[in-house]
Amino acid sequence: MEASKPIWIWRWARPVRNEIALLLRTPSGRIGLPLIALHLFIAIVGPSLTPYPHTEFHLENRLEGPSLEFLLGTDQFGRDLLSRILSGATSIITMSVLGSTFGIAIGTAIGIASGYKGGIVDEVVMRIMDGFMSFPGLLLALLVATMARELEIPLMSAQFEEKVFIVITIAVVFIPRVARVLRSATLTIKELEFVQSARLRGEPGWYIVFREILPNTAPVLGVEASVRLSYAILLASSLGFLGLGVQPPSPDWGRMINESRQFITTSATFTLVPALAIATLVIGINLVADGLREAHQLPKETPQ
Amino acid sequence: MTQVQITQMPVLDAPGTVGPADDTPLLEIENLGVTFYTPRGTVRAVRNASLTVRRGEVVGIVGESGCGKSTVAFAALGYLPGTAEVEGSVRFEGQDISELSEPELRDLRGGRVAMVYQDPATSLNPTMRVGPQLEEVLREHLDLSQHDAQERTLELFESVGLSDPERVVESYPHELSGGMQQRVVIAMALACEPRLLVMDEPTTGLDVTTEATILDLIADLKERVNAGIIFVSHNLGVIARVADRVVVMYSGETVEQAPVREIFKQSRHPYTAGLLECVPRRGAAGEGTPRLRSIPGSVLSADEIAESECLFASRCPLATGQCSSEAPLMRSVGDSHEARCFFPEQVRPEIWGDAELRRPRVSDPNADPLLKVNDLEVFYSSGRKKYLLFGPPADPPVRAVVNVNFDVKPKRTLGIVGESGSGKSTIARTIVGLTPKTGGAIDLEGRELAALVEDRDDESHAALRMVFQNPTASLNPRLPIHHGLVRSLRRFSRLSKEEAKVAAGDLMIAVGLEPEHLDRLPTEFSGGQQQRIALAAAFAADPAMIVADEAVSALDVSVQAQVLNLLADRQREDDVSYIFITHDLAVVRYVSDEILVLYAGHIAEMGETEDVLTTPSHPYTEALLSAAPTPDPSAERTRIRLEGDVPTLREAFSGCSFAGRCPRKIGDICDQQAPPAQTDTARPGHVIHCHIPVQELAILQRSEPGAAARSNGANG
Repeated sequence: MEASKPIWIWRWARPVRNEIALLLRTPSGRIGLPLIALHLFIAIVGPSLTPYPHTEFHLENRLEGPSLEFLLGTDQFGRDLLSRILSGATSIITMSVLGSTFGIAIGTAIGIASGYKGGIVDEVVMRIMDGFMSFPGLLLALLVATMARELEIPLMSAQFEEKVFIVITIAVVFIPRVARVLRSATLTIKELEFVQSARLRGEPGWYIVFREILPNTAPVLGVEASVRLSYAILLASSLGFLGLGVQPPSPDWGRMINESRQFITTSATFTLVPALAIATLVIGINLVADGLREAHQLPKETPQ
Repeated sequence: MTQVQITQMPVLDAPGTVGPADDTPLLEIENLGVTFYTPRGTVRAVRNASLTVRRGEVVGIVGESGCGKSTVAFAALGYLPGTAEVEGSVRFEGQDISELSEPELRDLRGGRVAMVYQDPATSLNPTMRVGPQLEEVLREHLDLSQHDAQERTLELFESVGLSDPERVVESYPHELSGGMQQRVVIAMALACEPRLLVMDEPTTGLDVTTEATILDLIADLKERVNAGIIFVSHNLGVIARVADRVVVMYSGETVEQAPVREIFKQSRHPYTAGLLECVPRRGAAGEGTPRLRSIPGSVLSADEIAESECLFASRCPLATGQCSSEAPLMRSVGDSHEARCFFPEQVRPEIWGDAELRRPRVSDPNADPLLKVNDLEVFYSSGRKKYLLFGPPADPPVRAVVNVNFDVKPKRTLGIVGESGSGKSTIARTIVGLTPKTGGAIDLEGRELAALVEDRDDESHAALRMVFQNPTASLNPRLPIHHGLVRSLRRFSRLSKEEAKVAAGDLMIAVGLEPEHLDRLPTEFSGGQQQRIALAAAFAADPAMIVADEAVSALDVSVQAQVLNLLADRQREDDVSYIFITHDLAVVRYVSDEILVLYAGHIAEMGETEDVLTTPSHPYTEALLSAAPTPDPSAERTRIRLEGDVPTLREAFSGCSFAGRCPRKIGDICDQQAPPAQTDTARPGHVIHCHIPVQELAILQRSEPGAAARSNGANG
């Protein structure tokens, strides 16, 4: 049966389809998955669906509530909030996903290698990580973001550069936290007999770390990924709120909340719209993560 | 009388005079079926179990893992989760427990039925001293005052053979040895004078020496407490020692029940006969050890539904068409002897194959040694330094192995035995290079090996392989089983990927598995199959030596026999030597050419298998032999009992390491001077490290086989 579908993408997608089917059997999955799907849809095609250019001023319509003309209302310059939300989704989602991917990848490599190596190497690496972690996450992010701003990368537009810096910031904040979790998982796994069998075969260290230990950290990695991703969105929004995000005039959800602060008594929708956009995305990720965890404890359709 | 010291038998020997007339059985389980509905599917844990327990009787429930033994025991207490569907009836003193209300059930469990679990460490609260834990039970259930509860606690501790109850009540669980913890748990179970005591594998986690003392205690309790005891165990030897009646379970069914002597003499169910044949037993002196018979296949999995067939039919040599079309009923086959089989009179040990002799010895005892271990020393240090990372070590190191010398000849098997903590596994891990040695040298085929496996060359990786105790952990759960096999083949035999796959298939056949299953994940195999896959990987490189660390300890007896036979067959065909580490003397007797007895990191005795296991022996070997349970209820029991645990040595010590527990200690010399290595003049190569001259040991052990000199007196 399987051989009759030779399209490689189909076979590659099978685990993903399985996960989605499983997910839809849990209540959290049934709520979370549509939320994420909506956000992904906006991130991909949103910028081309905007009713107005997101920078266009409608000075006579400033700080309006929702109307037929402006579905989600307008900001202090009369810019259409729907257009700004739609065009802001891409950057926050890509930055968060990339930031957490790099953070998790580097953190995992450091954590597993350090845990497997043990001894004085582990001691030194972990003390450095502790050093990073002694800063509160946001403070470290501010520090990194401010320092990164001083760098100039050749052949890169300023707009693209800021996004790269945010990705770097998220990754740097995450590396020590991920490393610590993965190291402790490794400490248990490395004592197991199959790792010792690999040592007895004379396998090199990198092989044991990546081929034998890494696949067995999958449950821990899954939890880490979901926690990190939602935290990355909050971190990116916070940076935007503090003015270290994507610079104007590009729309940034975090900065939109900051700008709306002074008008909160005049127009609540101005604050609510970007806040809800962030909240639904974070809640969606958390629900899907919960759903996946639940789904894997559900009865399987067939035994084995 | 037993060796367990009971100075008084307080309170407990006043049996409950209340209760229904004596002809009502204490517990009657009839056609019990228990089905669990779990998220992973339906599990038929118990299909059809019937048994009765009378007052003052020990009923042993025996069977392999997954046979529903424990579930039956739990059902007797009404301890099944709400998701379980129970069929049949469980009557306690004539009353159906399914009709009891929740408060009545609580009353039943607290007062009239008590349970002892496998692991004493988890049955006790680690944050409370053990005295108050027991007092709490007494005050809760018997309404005793603080003072009375304390008095009674001391009495109970004394009655279970704890020699210094005043000290024990003040101890936290971790300050007590495993055996003492289990005694405390038994004391708690006895606290309310239960009429039924359920013991679920109460000695499984303990060393043989400790197990023997606990079994003595249970045998003694049986006489003093007028309670019925259900004793669940997978170990036929243990059952033979304590049970009056034996119930054999298979796949959730009771398949045979009979008085203990009857069942070991003439079993009437092929499964029981097979189980007995799987246990390595001592042959008469001078005879070759017969090859173990084994039961092919494995237990029917609990999610299979089999309504109208004998559940054992697929593994049974007697099975006919009738067995697969009709379910046999429990039938009487003799005086209070029942079996669930159509052909009970045909059951004989021979149905499991002819008693062929195990491998002829082809090895040359005068050959050059394959592996030489000289003055091996392994010290463990905590790694903590005085100033965090620098300075001298904070604690003196643990001297795990001290001054050990031995060698292994080609095609021979060396068995290493000892209690836990004796350093057996440390030796194994040091030889293969997982644990670095502190001193001494290990030579393989005349070349010295580096201390750590990472520093050894591929040639020694290929020549020296290891098999671990836990088969499930030996295989990477995320990778298909061909991974380890192909990797070994490619690393050592320099095969291409395709060639390696073919060779891996051949290896699978060699260990009795299907080559088509190479792409499956380890979780799709049973424990015995996993261990065979681990063995296949070990054999992949055509090794000169395999170090097997408790390689069959985690397996059921029928599977254990399969693996032992496999090892023996490979040795005959492949020129491989084994170092076989085990705590099970029956297994070591079966597989080994030579035995090394280890105590606290020191060699106690070493020599040819038969020489070591017959007199004269080191007093420690003697104690181990005496403690080992044999599946023969009529076997004569020598009673030498060791209390306590193997000590952890941190300081250099000049005396004999065994002096503290030795039942034959002769005086101060044992504490002050290292015992000389004495050679038995009649058998060169048989070395005993003891101050007592060999001839004297021989006389001592021959003349008083039953009452082994002094008991280990003072500490009871």
